[in-house]
Amino acid sequence: MIVEIGHFALVLAFALSLVLSVVPLVGARMGDARLMGVAEPAALSILALIALSFAALTVAYVQSDFSVANVWENSHSAKPMLYKVTGVWGNHEGSMLLWVLILAAFAALVAIFGRNLPATLRANVLAVQGMIAAAFLLFLLASSNPFERINPPPIEGQDLNPILQDIGLAIHPPLLYLGYVGFSICFSFAVAALIEGRIDAAWARWVRPWTLAAWAALTGGIAMGSYWAYYELGWGGYWFWDPVENASFLPWLSGTALLHSAIVMEKRSALKIWTVLLAILTFSLSLLGTFLVRSGVLTSVHAFATDPTRGVFILMILVAFIGGSLALFALRASSLTAGGVFHPISREGGLVLNNLFLTTAAATVLVGTLWPLLVEAVSGEKISVGAPFFNMTFGPLIVPLLLAVPFGPLLAWKRGDLYAASQRLFVAFGLSLAIALATFFIVDRVSALAAFGIAVAFWLVFGALTDLALKSGVGKVSPAVALRRFAGLPRSVFGTSLAHAGLGLTTLGIVAVSALEVERIAVMQPGDAMDVAGYELRFDGIFPFEGPNYTEEQGRFTYSDRSGRERGEIVSAKRFYPARQMPTTEAGIASRGFSQLYVALGDRAPDGGIVVRAWWKPQVLFIWIGCVSMMLGGAISLLDRRLRVGAPAARRAKPARPAVEPAE
Amino acid sequence: MLFWIVAAALTFGACLLLLAPLARGNADAADARAHEIEVYKDQLLEIERDMARGLISAGEAELARAEIGRKIIRLSDAHDAAEPTSPSRPLGRWIGALAILSLPLVSWGLYAATGSPFYPGQPLQARLERDPSEASVDELIARAEAHLAANPDDARGWDVLAPIYLRLGRFADAATAFANASRLDQPTAARLAGEGEALAAGANGQVTADALARFEDALALQPDDLRSRYFVALAAEQAGNGDEARRLWQEMRDGLPEGSPWHGVIAAAIEGEAAGDAQDDQVGMIENMVASLAARLEANPNDVDGWQQLIRSYMVLERPQDAQGALERGRAAFGTASPEAGHLAAYGLSLGLEVEQ
Repeated sequence: MIVEIGHFALVLAFALSLVLSVVPLVGARMGDARLMGVAEPAALSILALIALSFAALTVAYVQSDFSVANVWENSHSAKPMLYKVTGVWGNHEGSMLLWVLILAAFAALVAIFGRNLPATLRANVLAVQGMIAAAFLLFLLASSNPFERINPPPIEGQDLNPILQDIGLAIHPPLLYLGYVGFSICFSFAVAALIEGRIDAAWARWVRPWTLAAWAALTGGIAMGSYWAYYELGWGGYWFWDPVENASFLPWLSGTALLHSAIVMEKRSALKIWTVLLAILTFSLSLLGTFLVRSGVLTSVHAFATDPTRGVFILMILVAFIGGSLALFALRASSLTAGGVFHPISREGGLVLNNLFLTTAAATVLVGTLWPLLVEAVSGEKISVGAPFFNMTFGPLIVPLLLAVPFGPLLAWKRGDLYAASQRLFVAFGLSLAIALATFFIVDRVSALAAFGIAVAFWLVFGALTDLALKSGVGKVSPAVALRRFAGLPRSVFGTSLAHAGLGLTTLGIVAVSALEVERIAVMQPGDAMDVAGYELRFDGIFPFEGPNYTEEQGRFTYSDRSGRERGEIVSAKRFYPARQMPTTEAGIASRGFSQLYVALGDRAPDGGIVVRAWWKPQVLFIWIGCVSMMLGGAISLLDRRLRVGAPAARRAKPARPAVEPAE
Repeated sequence: MLFWIVAAALTFGACLLLLAPLARGNADAADARAHEIEVYKDQLLEIERDMARGLISAGEAELARAEIGRKIIRLSDAHDAAEPTSPSRPLGRWIGALAILSLPLVSWGLYAATGSPFYPGQPLQARLERDPSEASVDELIARAEAHLAANPDDARGWDVLAPIYLRLGRFADAATAFANASRLDQPTAARLAGEGEALAAGANGQVTADALARFEDALALQPDDLRSRYFVALAAEQAGNGDEARRLWQEMRDGLPEGSPWHGVIAAAIEGEAAGDAQDDQVGMIENMVASLAARLEANPNDVDGWQQLIRSYMVLERPQDAQGALERGRAAFGTASPEAGHLAAYGLSLGLEVEQ
C-alpha cells in the first residue's frame, strides 16, 4: 500500500504543478492577488507530496520489496543498509525523483522566504518553477516511473551497479542536483523578469544568493565526483574530460560567470540583460547535461541509465525550455533597461573580462563534448574527443583568467586604477616567483611549465591574501586597528578570498600531480618490493575476504620511507559482486601530508604473480581541498545577509582620492 | 481500502489548501514599486553602516547616495506614469474553481491509468515467512539460502541446492555448494563431478585445470563415474588430443548399458570431434581478422580496447614477439606517460610481456 500511496502522491503533485504553472501566471497578468496567492500553498503541497513519494520509494528499498520493478532492478536483499538507501537514487528513475524533489524544495523556499518579493514577480517565478516541475514529473510518470510493479514479484533483486556501492553515492548526486536544480531558480527569475518586461531592484537582490547556493553545491558535487572516480576507478585519474563530467562542468563554468555578473547587477545595477541571458544559459546547460547523461547519445563511463526513448523525451523538454526562454529573451530583452555605465578598467570591467573568458571556455568545452555527435551525424564515424583537445584549448583560455583573478577585487567600482592595483600585488608576485624558482631548482629541474603552473597557483593564493590585508588596512593603520578592521570585514570579502585562494590550491594540486607524478608497474610475488618515489613498497601477499554481497582478494602491502622505517599498511583489493557478475577495483591509498601513495591491483600474471600499479601523487589532495575552500567561500558569502552596494570611485580630477579601500 | 482513504484525504487536503487564498476577499495586488523603494532605502542605510565601519570614505558614500537618489527619482516618475490595473473578479473566480476541479480529475485519471491500487506491497521478510506450500521455486531457493546462511554446516542442504543452482545456470554458486558439501561431509564422486561440471560450465564449457582435477579425483573414488569420464575425454579434445578423446569416448560407449541417456551425448561428441579436424581454415580466418585489426590501429591508434584486443589475439595465436611489438606501439601511440599507456602496460604484464619503465 505504501508504494501505491507514493505513486498517487507523485501523480497528485503533477496535477498541482499544472495548476502552479498556470494560475499564478494568469493572476499576475490580471493583477488578481487571489490567483497569485495560489502559488504559495501549491508550491508547498508539491514539496510535501514529492517528499512523501520519495519516502515511499525509500521504504520499498529498505524492505526489499521486489514487486517494485525499480527496486528489483537496483537492489539486493544482502546489500548493506546504507546502499539500500543510497540505491534509491543510484539509478535513472530514482535519481529523477530526487531531482524533482530538490526542484520542489527550491520552489518551496522561494514561496516561504520570498514574501518580501513584489507579488507579481513571486507569482511568475513560482509559475515558471511549476512548469519545470510539471515537465519533469510528466517525464517521470510517462517514461520512467519508479513505481512500476511486477507481478509475481521475483525473490531476489539484481543488485546495484557495484561501482555505485560506495559512500560517494550518498554525497555526489544529491550535491550535484542541488547545483543543477539550484540554477533553475535563477532561470525562473530570469524568465519571470522577461515576462514582466522589467528588472527591478529586488530581482538583483534575489538572484545572487540563489546563484551562490547552487554554485557552491555544484562545486562540492563535482569535487566529490572527481575524488570518487579517483579512488574507485583504479586508474588514479581525477578528471577524464568524459562527456558526463563535462556535462557538470559546463553549468559550473557558466554558473561561475553568472555568479560574478550577478554581483555587478546587485551592487551597480549594470549588466542586467547579460545576467538574464547567463541565467537562462546556465540552466539550459544543466538540462543539456541531464539529457547527455540519460539518453546515452554519448558513450561515457557514467552510462548507468541510457535509453533512447527517454532521450527523446528529455530532448523535447530541452527544446521547449531553452527555445521558449531564448525566444522570450529575443522578444523582451530590448524592453529591459540597461544599467549603469563604467570604465573598461574597473571592478565591473574586470568582471566582464571574467565572464568573457568563462563563457568562451564553456563554449570550447561544449564544442569538444558535442563534436563526436556532430561527426557521427554527418559521416557516421564514431570518434572520441579526449584530453589532448581540452588541454590544448581549455588550458590556454583559463591561464590568462587565472593570472587576472587577483587584480579583480583590488579594482574600484566604476573606474579603477590598474597601475595602483599592480603595485599592491607586488609582494604577492615576488613571493610566487620565488616559490616557482625554488621548485624549479630544488624539486624538479626538468619542467619549466610546471614551475610556471606552481607560480600561477601561489599567485592566486597570495593575491587573495593581499586583498584581505589591504582591506583591513595592513601597513596603513596600526596593527591593532587593522586587526579590528579585519574582524569587521563583511563576510563576502572572506568568501571572495577563500574562493580565489581555493582556485589557487586546486591549480597547485593539478599542476603538481600532472608534472611530478611517479608511476611504477611491475609483476610482484609475495615478498617482492619496489621503489616508488623514494618509498619502498613491499608486497605481503593476497588474502581472500568475504563481504556482505561480494568476495574480495586483498593485496596487502607495507611501505617504508627513505630511512627504512615502516610507515604503514596499504590494502588494495579486487572485488567480485556475484549478483551482477561484475568485478571492481578498490585502490589502496596512503596519505603522506597532502600527497598520496596509490596502489591498484591488476590481473594475475601467468607465473602466479600479480600486476601492481603504484603511483606517487604529490600534493594531490590540494585539488579537492581547493574545491572545499571554494565551496566554503560560497557558503560564507551566502551568510552575508547585507544589502550590498558598490560605492563608485570618484573621478580622477577630484582631489579626494579615498584614503581607504572601496567596500567589497 | 486504507489506500483509497489516504488517496482521497491527500486530494481533499490539496484542494482545501488551494481554496484558502482564493476565498480571500481582497483581490487587489499590492503596488510592486513600493518594494523597490524599500530596497533602495535599505541600500541607503547600508551605505551609512559601511561608512561607520570605515570601509568607504565620506566622499564615496556621498557619490553612492547620489546614485541611489537618482534611481528613486526615476522610479517615482515611472510610477506616476503607470496606469492602475483593474482586476476582473468574476473571471478570477472561474479560473480558481477550474484549477481546483482539475486536481482530482487529473490525479485520479492519471493514477487509474498507471497505478496498481489493488496490488499490496511485498516486503521480502514478510514473503519468506509465509506458508511454504504457496511459495514459488525461487522463493524456496531463497528460503534454503536463508537456512544455509544461518546453518552453513548443513552438508545435506548444500547437496539439495547445488544441482538446482547448476540447472538454473548459477554456476559459481553451484560450484561453491558442491565444494561445501564435500568439505563438510566427505568428497564423493557425485559431489566432485558436480563441482567439476559447474566449474567447466562457468568457464563457457572449457574444462579448466581446476575442473579436470575434480573429475580425476572423482574417478579415483569411483572409476566408472560416467560424467567424470565424459569430461576427462572432453578435456583431452580441448587440449588438441583428438585421438585420445575419441578413444576414451568409444571405450565409454562400449561399456554403456542398453537405453542409457549417455548414448546420444557420446555419439554427438565423437561426431563433433571428427568435424574439428577441419579447423585449419578457421585459424586462417582469425589471422586475417587480427591483421585487419592491426591495420586499423595503425590508422587510428587512439583506441585502448583495440590495442588490448590485438595483444590478446597475438598471445592466443602464440606470437608473443608480435604481442610485445603491439604493446610497445600502443604505448608509444598514447605517449608512455599517459594513463592509457599505463593501462596497456599493466595489461601486457598480466599476459607475461615485458614493460620498460
